Amino acid sequence: MAKVLMKGNEAIAEAAIRSGCLNYFAYPITPQSEVAEYLVRRMPEVGGVFLQGESEVAVSYMIFGASAAGARVFTTSSSPGISLMSEGISYMAGAQCPAVIVNIMRGGPGLGGILPSQADYFQATKSMGHGDFRLLVLAPASVQEAVEMMMDAFPLAEKYRNPVMILGDGLIGQMMEPVEFPEGLKKEPLNNDAWATSGMDTRKSNQRNLVKSLFLDPEALNNNNLTLKAKYDKMKQEEVRFEDYNTDAPYKVLIVSYGTMSRVCRTAIDTMKSQGVEVGMVRPQSLFPFPEDRVREAADVPHCSVVASIEMSMGQMVEDIERSVQGKKPVKWFGKCGGDVPTPEEVVDFVHTLL
Amino acid sequence: MKIDLDGIVVVTGNYGSGKTEVSVNLAVDRKTNGMDVRLADLDLVNPYFRSREARHQLRDLGIDVILPHEQYMTADLPILVPEVAGAIREQAALVILDAGGDNVGATVLAALADRLRDVNVNMLQVVNPFRPFTDSIAACKKIKTEIETAAKMKMTGIVGNANLIDDTSAEDIYEGYDFALEYARECGLKLEFITMPEILKTKIDIRHFSCPVLSIKRQLVPPWKTAVSLT
Repeated sequence: MAKVLMKGNEAIAEAAIRSGCLNYFAYPITPQSEVAEYLVRRMPEVGGVFLQGESEVAVSYMIFGASAAGARVFTTSSSPGISLMSEGISYMAGAQCPAVIVNIMRGGPGLGGILPSQADYFQATKSMGHGDFRLLVLAPASVQEAVEMMMDAFPLAEKYRNPVMILGDGLIGQMMEPVEFPEGLKKEPLNNDAWATSGMDTRKSNQRNLVKSLFLDPEALNNNNLTLKAKYDKMKQEEVRFEDYNTDAPYKVLIVSYGTMSRVCRTAIDTMKSQGVEVGMVRPQSLFPFPEDRVREAADVPHCSVVASIEMSMGQMVEDIERSVQGKKPVKWFGKCGGDVPTPEEVVDFVHTLL
Repeated sequence: MKIDLDGIVVVTGNYGSGKTEVSVNLAVDRKTNGMDVRLADLDLVNPYFRSREARHQLRDLGIDVILPHEQYMTADLPILVPEVAGAIREQAALVILDAGGDNVGATVLAALADRLRDVNVNMLQVVNPFRPFTDSIAACKKIKTEIETAAKMKMTGIVGNANLIDDTSAEDIYEGYDFALEYARECGLKLEFITMPEILKTKIDIRHFSCPVLSIKRQLVPPWKTAVSLT
C-alpha cells in the first residue's frame, strides 16, 4: 500500500481497525483525542463501534465487558485518564482478559500539562493498579513503529490473556509522519471458547464460562496469582524487545532511552560522532519486560565507563537500568519533565559532563 | 508566476492538511516581496505544532504575529484574542488568519463573521491528497462544505499542498498538482498556488505548473530536527 501522511493518533486508530479491532471505547483528553475523532468517522465505515464513556472509569469496564465477551477491544487515553482506568485494568488482569490500552502521556502529576512526557513509566511498568499484576508495555519511537506495535499488541494480549499497553509520549500522538500499513493481517481473535462468555450457540463444549477476578477462597486466589506470575515470567522470556544504535563503535557512554526521546538522543549521538566522541544507545522497545540482559551486556564492555538514562521523567527508568547493570557501571540521569523535550544540544552537553 | 493575494486571507482545510506551514511560509514569501504582513494563529483545536512555534523568527522578519498571551500559549483552551478583530479592522496589506482544522477549527471564523463582512476576504482550502479523508475529490468537497457551513463563509480558492513531509518526491508534487488542479476546476475556484518543499527546488520544473509555487521551509519539526531558517 502507498504511504500516507498521518498523525500518530490517527495511525494508531487505523492500525487497530486493520488489526480487526472493531470495538473502541474512550473518553477524550489532550493529547490523544484525535484517536476518537478519527474513529468517529472510520468505525461506521467498517461496521465497528465507538462509544464514548461518561468517564475513564466507565470506559475501563466497557473494555472489560467487551473483552470478557470475547471481542477484540481497545481504548486510548492520556495520563490522568489512565489513572482513572486503573481499577478496571486491575480487574481485567485478575480475570485474564486481553485488551489494548494506549497511553499518550502528558506531563504530571495531577492535571500537569498537555505537552509530551514519559512520567508514567512507573505506572505502566510497575503499578498500574492494585494487586499483583503486570502489563506488557511497548514503547514506539515513530508513527510507523506505533502502527506496527499496535498490530502486534492484539495477538500478544490474546496470547497472554492480559492487557497490553502502548506507551507513547504526546509527540508520538501529535506528530505527523509518512506511514505504511502492512497487508495480510490475521484479523480474527484467537480461539476464546475456553474462557470467554461468547455464548453457547457456537461453542463446541457445553462448559459454562465465568469471567471474574473475585476469588474468596485463599487457595484459589493464590493459584490465580501463581498463574499470572507464570505468564509474566513467560513474557520476560519471550517478549523482550530493544534496538541498538552505534553500539558497534567503542562508546564511552551508553545511553538508555526510549520513545521520541531516543530520537533526540540519536541526533545527539550523530553530532558527537562527528566531533570524535563515540556514544552508544540501547533503546528499550518493551518496557515490561525490560531488556535487562542487553543493557547489562552493553554496559559491561571495557570501553564503556558510564550509563546514562535519558528520559522525559525525573529518572523513573534509572531503577530498571541499575537493576540490569548490577553495579558494574555507574548510572546517571538526565531529563526534563515539564513538556519541553530536551534538545540534542542539551543531551550533548550532558554527555560531556560524563566524559 | 507570483502569488496574487491581498487583504484578508483565511487559511482553512482538513485537520493536518498543512495550513500552518502554508500560512507561515506565505507570510514570509509576501513579506520578502515587500508586503506589510500580519499573521494570526486562530488554531484553537490543535494542541501542538501551531504557527506560534515559529513566532520568534517571524517577528524577527518584521511580521506582526497575533497570538494568545504567552502564559496561555500551551493551554488547550479556545482563546481568541481581541487583537484579531483589531487586525481585521486596521488592515495590513495582507492579513493571514491561520484557522484550526476541519469544521471544528473553522467555527471560530463564524465568531468573526461580522468583522469580516464588507472587507476583501479570501478563504482558501488547503488540500493534501496524501492525508486521510482528503484523498479524493469527493472527500475534499465534503470537507469544503463542512468548513463553509461552520465558518459561515464561502471558499474562494484552493491551495495544493501535496506532501509526505521528508519522504516527498518530485513525482508526488506533480501528482498533487494534477489533483489540486482538477479539484479547483470541479469547484469552479482558482488554484491560488501549490507548494513544494524547498529541498526539491532543483528537482522540479515549475514551468510545468499553471499556478504559482510556494516554496516551503519547514517550521513545524520535532525536537530532533532543526527548522529551516526563514531568513
